[in-house]
Amino acid sequence: MTDDSLIAALRKFETEGLAAVRDASDIGALERVRIELLGRKEGRISLVLRGLSKVSPDQRPALGQEANRVKEVVSTAIAERERSFFVDRSIDREDLTLPSRPPWEGGIHPVTQAVDEISRIFRDLGFTRARGPEADTEWYNFEALNTPLDHPAADEQDTLYLTDSVLLRSHTSPVQMRTMERHDPPIRIIAPGWVYRRDTYDATHTPCFMQVEGLVIDEGVTFVDFKATLAEFSRRYWGPATEVRFRPSFFPFTEPSAEVDVKRVITRQDGTREEMEWLEIMGAGMVDPAVIENAGYDPERYTGFAFGMGPGRIAMIKHGVDDLRRFFENDIRFLGQFAS
Amino acid sequence: MNVSYRWLLDCVPGLQLTPEEVGRHLALRGAPLEGMISPGQGLEDVVVGRVVSAEKHPNADRLTLCEVDGGNGVVSVVCGAPNVLEGAWYPFAPVGAVLPGDLKLEEVKIRGEISHGMLCSAKELGLGHDQGGIYQIHGEFTPGQSFVDAIGLDDVTMDVEITTNRGDLLSHLGVARELASAGKGTVTIPEFPDDPHVSLSFERHTQEARVGNVGIRIEAPDLCNRYLGVVIRGVFVGESPEWLQQRLRGAGARPINNVVDATNYVMLELGQPLHAFDLNRLEGTSVVVRRAQEDENGFTTLDDETRALSADMLMICDAEKPVAIGGVMGGLESEVSDDTVDVLLEAALFNPGSIRATSKILGLSTDASYRFERGVDPEGIERAVSRATALIVAITGGVIDGPVLDCCPAGFEADVVSLRLSRIEHVLGVSFTSAEVQSLLKPLGFELVDDKEGVLDLRVPGFRSYDVTREIDLIEEVARTHGYDKFPAEMRPYRPSTVPDHPMFELEDELRGALAGRGLFEAQTPAFVPESEGDVQVANPLTTTEPFVRRAILPSLLRIVEHNFAHGNRDVRLFEIGTSFRKAGKGEPPHEETHLAVVMTGRREPPHWSRQDEFITVWDLKALLEAAAHISYAGAAEVTVEPGVVHPFREELAFVVANVEGHSMGHGGLVSSAEMDVPVWAGDVWGFEIMLPSDPPRSAAPTHVPLPIFPAIERDLALVVPIGNSAAELDGLIRDCGGTLLESLELFDLYLDLEKDGGVRSLAFRLRFRAEDRTLKDKEVDRSVDLILRRLKEELNVEPRR
Repeated sequence: MTDDSLIAALRKFETEGLAAVRDASDIGALERVRIELLGRKEGRISLVLRGLSKVSPDQRPALGQEANRVKEVVSTAIAERERSFFVDRSIDREDLTLPSRPPWEGGIHPVTQAVDEISRIFRDLGFTRARGPEADTEWYNFEALNTPLDHPAADEQDTLYLTDSVLLRSHTSPVQMRTMERHDPPIRIIAPGWVYRRDTYDATHTPCFMQVEGLVIDEGVTFVDFKATLAEFSRRYWGPATEVRFRPSFFPFTEPSAEVDVKRVITRQDGTREEMEWLEIMGAGMVDPAVIENAGYDPERYTGFAFGMGPGRIAMIKHGVDDLRRFFENDIRFLGQFAS
Repeated sequence: MNVSYRWLLDCVPGLQLTPEEVGRHLALRGAPLEGMISPGQGLEDVVVGRVVSAEKHPNADRLTLCEVDGGNGVVSVVCGAPNVLEGAWYPFAPVGAVLPGDLKLEEVKIRGEISHGMLCSAKELGLGHDQGGIYQIHGEFTPGQSFVDAIGLDDVTMDVEITTNRGDLLSHLGVARELASAGKGTVTIPEFPDDPHVSLSFERHTQEARVGNVGIRIEAPDLCNRYLGVVIRGVFVGESPEWLQQRLRGAGARPINNVVDATNYVMLELGQPLHAFDLNRLEGTSVVVRRAQEDENGFTTLDDETRALSADMLMICDAEKPVAIGGVMGGLESEVSDDTVDVLLEAALFNPGSIRATSKILGLSTDASYRFERGVDPEGIERAVSRATALIVAITGGVIDGPVLDCCPAGFEADVVSLRLSRIEHVLGVSFTSAEVQSLLKPLGFELVDDKEGVLDLRVPGFRSYDVTREIDLIEEVARTHGYDKFPAEMRPYRPSTVPDHPMFELEDELRGALAGRGLFEAQTPAFVPESEGDVQVANPLTTTEPFVRRAILPSLLRIVEHNFAHGNRDVRLFEIGTSFRKAGKGEPPHEETHLAVVMTGRREPPHWSRQDEFITVWDLKALLEAAAHISYAGAAEVTVEPGVVHPFREELAFVVANVEGHSMGHGGLVSSAEMDVPVWAGDVWGFEIMLPSDPPRSAAPTHVPLPIFPAIERDLALVVPIGNSAAELDGLIRDCGGTLLESLELFDLYLDLEKDGGVRSLAFRLRFRAEDRTLKDKEVDRSVDLILRRLKEELNVEPRR
């Protein structure tokens, strides 16, 4: 036989073999197919392999590779068919309406999901993610942020202290200063993380909760950029028809300061649109020059804006959760409602 | 701040806005409405009734039988109060009326007489304390007219949220000023009836003033910038006139007596806290403003609480002892009472920081301290003292005795702040002309001092002297009064951040995705724990039961499993990524690590009709632990077993995650029943916790290995292994002997024989041999297997099963 015809024969063994494997109705029939093709002594493929030494050396590799490939394919098919005789006897081919067999569902916590979505949007807008410690000093939490300790503003977030000057951060804003200390402008970051306050548990308060901080510092950043960026975020998060409102407010580390409100427009299935109530979703503002100066930058050259929001509250609104404490109970029936 | 809508209308005559509209305007100025209530809410059914006749109840000495005209004919009413007067007007609740507390009035028979309704006391109406019986109202009324209208309760109390920088808005005048500056009218200070139009003279000194036998001395000039005292003699203390009570109620305050009401009225109107002392209870009829002395310990404030004083608190004292905590609360002993004849009226400017510190230490926040902390108008104090004096004279019949004693160690000098038009544009992104800026700032009280070359010098009014001290403060005023909504909001190009994305976020994302994908739910639990679970203590904890922050996450997750068990959830698989706190050096912030904890219990897979339930075992835990360690450390940490755990009867299985240096990065195993409450029906609870690297390795891109082209040869080895030898030892040795030809090694069977030789295990391995470059010969494989068997025998005393 020529080598070409040997290769053709191998291909034929392959096609016929696979068909025979498929048609084998029991383990005995399958074993006969195996012996016919792969039996050590008389198996057809084995014979080809054994005859390789008689083939001319320049054609041997090609033929050998093909023979081995066919052997692998057929062995795999036999092994699979063999398993099918032992497994899944329970398949009732007559009733495919029977329930399927999915694995357990898992999921990411709804508040993390909110953080993730917020982060994704800001990353699309050129922001990177930064971190800072949860236990920090009064300097980073208050004074560096232009909040004198004897000002009532320092009281607004009743703070948990570890020692005289070390506290559990009452907001993620300390990350602003920590980032500015280590990097030069342009800075464009968000900082998601836990914050702590001396609040008792109720439907809208917990003594620790997630916050997402944001900070932009560069030359030529103005109130217009501030409004544009946060309005863009709000529309991407809450929907393109969302109205965004900026109201004057006060934070010691921003000036001018603003509360950002959104009014969602929900389109129902029947096509009708419903305007929702205004929701307060963010505290924000232009970074106070005193903060920029504390970071060691020139406030005459650099300007910027900062913002902070609570993904827990946002998740409550988004999913219609009526009590913030649900997020801490972690009942799997609750978590299961947010499975990915 | 509670603002009375009617009072506001008095201050801005002609204001054409509803309370809701006022709220919207204030919100756009930075002072949103938190809520609105009507002080007459719940009293809609109460009418004004006139007592036509009153006589003793025939069958009860203490009751009165009255004939009351409530507009719907005269009815008889039994009244329990002793002060019913014929011909007087009272709030009357007829049959069918509903009073606060859902009390519905019905016809009742009292000692044989039918009562068709009720004459009400102030307390029953929620309007104040009972002052010896039912609530007589004075004036001309029509029987049956609405009580709410009659006494001016048809007001709206607006709860306005004032940010901490705007102390100037803590008065009706301040709110009125803000509305007026928005072009909504002009501010005026309203007239009050019978204003005697007094004109006061001032006896001005720096630290000590004395007229006749009354003196004032400031011994702590650093804590008190100014102290004014007016003596008013011969006052008649009693109820305030109805109009004054109405204003106070409208602003959410309770009338007390005319002297105190006058001070409260002026505080709510002008923002200056005032205090009235009973002059004759001040030892030496003098006032000394000084710090508390060490021996002055307990001081009883007028709420009848004894307060512990500390040395830095500013006290108002008489010649001997403290009589008030300056700027916070007066003392019980010197307060104005019904017997008071002579009054010393105080108006002062205290140091905001000192008041805040005192209020914080005492845990006592009052209307006065709240205002002083936020800054009281230094230019408004004389007007306030004049107005309060006039009011007290008008409503108490008292007379002013001598000039105002005025001690002023630190006079007020207004700031002049420069504002560059170029800087406005630099910050706000929109340019403003000098004229535009002036028209925005002038209505707020800023006066132009100079204007040249694009720089405006502006004089800051006293009431804004606390929050406007810098150029940026004026820029905010420009933005605020111009209106935030008028600024454009178009996206402009930006430069990319120099800050790299923190690698921890990527690691956390990857772990969350992997674990959720394997059927676990992410949990979030609070960081506060009992002492047994933490190293780092909170100095001012919220609860005494959880005064620490945690060093590990797993115990918190076990509490969550208990919660789920308690609700009948048997299949619980949770993970959490959180912070662990450990003690660092003294005075330093604690050491923080990010940890991952996992807990699993119940079935491996959801129940299905096609098979028996299987439960989560140690092998599931180990797989997950290996996956987590691999994701976190990319091969730089491995899961090993605590020494000595190869034992079929050992109950506690424990894994260690160790890095290359052998340091433990975490641990896992069966959760001991001592750690948590496990109901009898629940399965084993498995858990682990690992520390995540603070600077996670970025995993290298995998390099492609060409798929094999030569066939493999498989051999199965069934080995008899004495108990005490671990699978890992065998695995290591076989791989070592197999060298590069051994492509894979898989344990496919395990059999335990406890009878034989004190217990043996039989482990069956499948070995797959392959050469990269040629077809392996059986002989080569035989040699390898022989070597493996020989070394197994020699080194581990392991032989093939026969």
